Amino acid sequence: MLAYTFKRLLALVPTLLAASVLVFLFVHLIPGDPAAVLLGDSATPEDVARLSREMGLDRPIYVQYFIWLGHALQGDFGTSVFFRTPVMDVIAGGAETSILLAVLTMIWIIILGIPIGVMSATRHGSWVDQLASGGAMLFASVPTFWLGLYLILIFAVWLGWFPSSGFPSIHEEGGLLNLRYLLLPSLTLAAPNAALIIRLVRASMLDVQREDHVRTARAKGLHPARVAIKHVFRNALISVAAAFGFTFAALISEAVVTETVFSLPGVGQLVVQSILRRDYPVIQGVILVIVCLYMVINLIVDLAYAWLDPRVSLK
Amino acid sequence: MKLKTWLKSAVMAGALLACTGSAMADGMLRYATVGEPPSLDQQVITSDLATTIAHHMFEGLYTFNSSNAPVPLLAAGDETSADGKTITIKLREGVSFHNGEPMTSADVLASLKRWGEFGSRGALLFDNVESIEATGDHEITIKLKAPFGPWKNLMAFINGGPAIYPASVLAGAGKEPIAPESYIGTGPYKFSKWEPNRYVELVRYDGYVSPEGEPDGYGGKRVAEFDTLHFIPVADVGTRVAGVRAGDYDYAESIPGDLFADLDADASVKTIVNGSPLFGLVFMNSKEGPLKDNFALRRAIQTAIDKVPALQVSIGPDQLWRANGSFMPKGNVWYTEAGAENFSKGDAEAAKAMAKEAGYNGEPIKFMVSTNYPFHYDSAIVYTKQLAQAGFNIDLQVYDWATLIDKRGKADQWDMFFTHHGFVPDPILISVMNDSYPGWWATPEKAALKAKFTASSDPAEREKIWAEIQALIYEQVPTMKTGDVYTYNIASPKLKGLADATLIWPAFWNVSK
Amino acid sequence: MSFLHSVRDIFRGRAMGTAGLIWLCVILFAALAAPWIAPFDPLDIDPVNRLTEPGWPHLFGTDHYGRDTFSRCIYGARMTMLIGLGSVAFALVTGGAVGMLSAYFTRLGNFLMRGIDVLMAFPALLLALVLMTLLERSVVNTIIVIGIVYATTTARILFGMTLKLKREVFIDAAVCSGAGHGSILFRHILPNLISPLLVQASFIFAFAQLQAAALDFLGLGLPPEVPSWGNMLSESRIYVTRAPWLLLYPGLLIILSVFSMNMVGDAMRDSMDPRFKDDIAGV
Repeated sequence: MLAYTFKRLLALVPTLLAASVLVFLFVHLIPGDPAAVLLGDSATPEDVARLSREMGLDRPIYVQYFIWLGHALQGDFGTSVFFRTPVMDVIAGGAETSILLAVLTMIWIIILGIPIGVMSATRHGSWVDQLASGGAMLFASVPTFWLGLYLILIFAVWLGWFPSSGFPSIHEEGGLLNLRYLLLPSLTLAAPNAALIIRLVRASMLDVQREDHVRTARAKGLHPARVAIKHVFRNALISVAAAFGFTFAALISEAVVTETVFSLPGVGQLVVQSILRRDYPVIQGVILVIVCLYMVINLIVDLAYAWLDPRVSLK
Repeated sequence: MKLKTWLKSAVMAGALLACTGSAMADGMLRYATVGEPPSLDQQVITSDLATTIAHHMFEGLYTFNSSNAPVPLLAAGDETSADGKTITIKLREGVSFHNGEPMTSADVLASLKRWGEFGSRGALLFDNVESIEATGDHEITIKLKAPFGPWKNLMAFINGGPAIYPASVLAGAGKEPIAPESYIGTGPYKFSKWEPNRYVELVRYDGYVSPEGEPDGYGGKRVAEFDTLHFIPVADVGTRVAGVRAGDYDYAESIPGDLFADLDADASVKTIVNGSPLFGLVFMNSKEGPLKDNFALRRAIQTAIDKVPALQVSIGPDQLWRANGSFMPKGNVWYTEAGAENFSKGDAEAAKAMAKEAGYNGEPIKFMVSTNYPFHYDSAIVYTKQLAQAGFNIDLQVYDWATLIDKRGKADQWDMFFTHHGFVPDPILISVMNDSYPGWWATPEKAALKAKFTASSDPAEREKIWAEIQALIYEQVPTMKTGDVYTYNIASPKLKGLADATLIWPAFWNVSK
Repeated sequence: MSFLHSVRDIFRGRAMGTAGLIWLCVILFAALAAPWIAPFDPLDIDPVNRLTEPGWPHLFGTDHYGRDTFSRCIYGARMTMLIGLGSVAFALVTGGAVGMLSAYFTRLGNFLMRGIDVLMAFPALLLALVLMTLLERSVVNTIIVIGIVYATTTARILFGMTLKLKREVFIDAAVCSGAGHGSILFRHILPNLISPLLVQASFIFAFAQLQAAALDFLGLGLPPEVPSWGNMLSESRIYVTRAPWLLLYPGLLIILSVFSMNMVGDAMRDSMDPRFKDDIAGV
């Protein structure tokens, strides 16, 4: 298992390197110049060219790439053009929001997705099941930003129960209570993903119920609830674990939109805003960190899958 | 069912959380901005957002009173020699920087020099400066090549202007904005920290020495009533509005016109209309393309457009816009109707005839606009329709702002582009007056008038020359003004001391909660 | 006739799937007949009648240009179909080709699938975001970018399915009887993949709608002057309190269409070849 893990980790390196070239190329091919964005409307092209030179943006792109890669390998992603602070600090600033948002969302997904999915499967075909499956499919079809806008309208503006937007750090005044700022966003983000998990849990439980060892357990006269929990639910967990990888990817993608709607200072907003500002070092840094994280999580999911399900062999 | 009761209790718990946490310190002002400022270095950055934040911590030698006339801020007074070529400025004594050091003429000298060489509006003044030196611990003497009328206005305009920094932070400073750790000024608030994507924090500067006199515009006494100012980027308009209504922010800027009626009637928010309008500009390419020097064709385009529907669509309620052809608003000393009869003809038939006479044969005209500013985009859509009706072949190209400002620097990529201009106290600061601003309007007629305009320091004469320049703009059409837009902000009714209208940028000294 | 029969077989007894199919037909009809059924020109500006409430003659009200929302919704169906079908076609053709060829020609496959791995290392919307900023906002570019995103998953899936088929007896038989590569790929492998491809297509169609709407919302999708449901939402979000109907109708249309497509996909998957059921991602 250890050797296998190591081998898989090693295989990530060329992919990561290729991804870094791709990111760098994409980012630098985007028309526009951070110097022009910084200086604003009244700047003349000569002003912009002068600042561009001062910032070293007029060097050939491959030179810039190798300089950047050299630093990146030592963990230094450069300095943000816009904030004039190290990119790592800028990312770290957004990470708190993003991580907390992801954790809260996962909690929603689990406490909504698994029980409803299990309930739906155990009462397969009943009206409960039909309602749950239909509802899940409906929520999976809602654009997150649309849901977010209406949640703000209802719960923040009309009812005034939750803050409408923003997120002061939990280290600020208010402490953990500040998590209430993330309740609506996490719910928005959780809705389509919980819906996917509901359907997944339901489907995999139905599959398992048809399998031999479950029939045997039932035939042995075990209590149906015990069968449901011990045999069926455990198998459902496997599929949930497998779904974790793509759920995480969806979280990152959809978080970009959700963070925009709720003005959250997370990594997703950072990407969007940095693209608008042409803050090359930040875009490169953030995307690379996300790609890294994504690949590692997928690897962990694969390993966990292998560990949970003895039928999968390590090839 | 179980799930239902669970959900219910979750909602209740959430509601409880929401209630207990809302007691916030009153010593903090939370200002929802449209985004993040590019940098707060006032000398090189011209973003209005940057100035909104930075003018609480940086000060210049002069500032503006409520009638947009320059008054001393860090200066104590000045004298101009009889020939108009030597200016001696006395500095206020006892003023200290946020790092505790006293402000002296060495700091002012270093600041003016850096601004003159690298500042975004510095060259306007310094192209005319022979020499500048410190003639005492608190005295600066500027020698001009020729008398230069607008010098005090340029010094008082802090946006892209001569903010005074300590000489120590300016060593080696160039075009690149200074780093946040060097944000050291003399203002009532000092820089505390900048959490990217979260907020910019300013805190009260206890060692602040205010100028004397009744507050008047930005002049007079300044008192920092808040402990802390937070400028929080909230990109989404709807969220900014909801946030002020819900009490999460005390102040929010840049609210769309269509919400004005509702918000004005809403007791939970106060609307504050900006006193100085901004205006849209459609620049034409004087360097390349079909519009290069075909003034007749440009006049045909100008004739085809009716500015009113564009203002209705892009801004909304009548109170918030004015179809005003003068580059300076009514009531301002620079207001003039010269040439303005051609401002908004909206005559498709006449335009068609004029275009034909100008030799136009349906060549495509590339019109660039950005979606980052909805009012640009909305207006451009209306203009494109009107121009099409007058037989023009408009190729509307929609970009994000960063792409647009990149492309407009390349003369072969465009024929017209849309931008807007903030209020400026002196017409010399309007971008079309700058020969190297994209569009590159630099005809001999302009050069002659501009030379006369800056050489004179007699206000009445300068106003007369400006009227001639404006008439020339309507004749050669280097740019088309689209009308005055009065933006507005919203504030919590709890804020005390807010003026009913903002002069240029909202200011929060003398304001409390 | 046989096509209709198989459609009937798939949807018999599946009420939701059938309802979905009917709704999609309505959308398709609206898309094709838009100029005849839309009461107004979707681009006609009318500053006097801005932001009017739903009623007569503006069934869904008007937006801040005074344009008729109902007509824009109908024209929006065109964009929905165009983006959906376009990105599905792009994803299936490029992704399908890469997947099949990679599985069939192992050495080429090693190389191609590595490339797919690199692209798949980017979360979908992030990749689309960067690509859209790089290119200009246009219908074709939106189709290509969303197509690329789903081409990667399609390639992976087809890669797996082709590998399975390669091991089956009838392929060996074809090889023994001296069939060429082209003949094996197109006459023996591809026909077996048609039905799973169709199921995959229906899910891509559904996801592409959401993805395109998200891009429009972020201001990076279709050109803003194009009447699409996503653009309508993006433009009117600031009117959520002032004119809520502007947000309501396009939003409901997106939800209904995505929902229908998912339902159709579900119905098709249930009646699909059991060998491949696990391979299709879907909802």
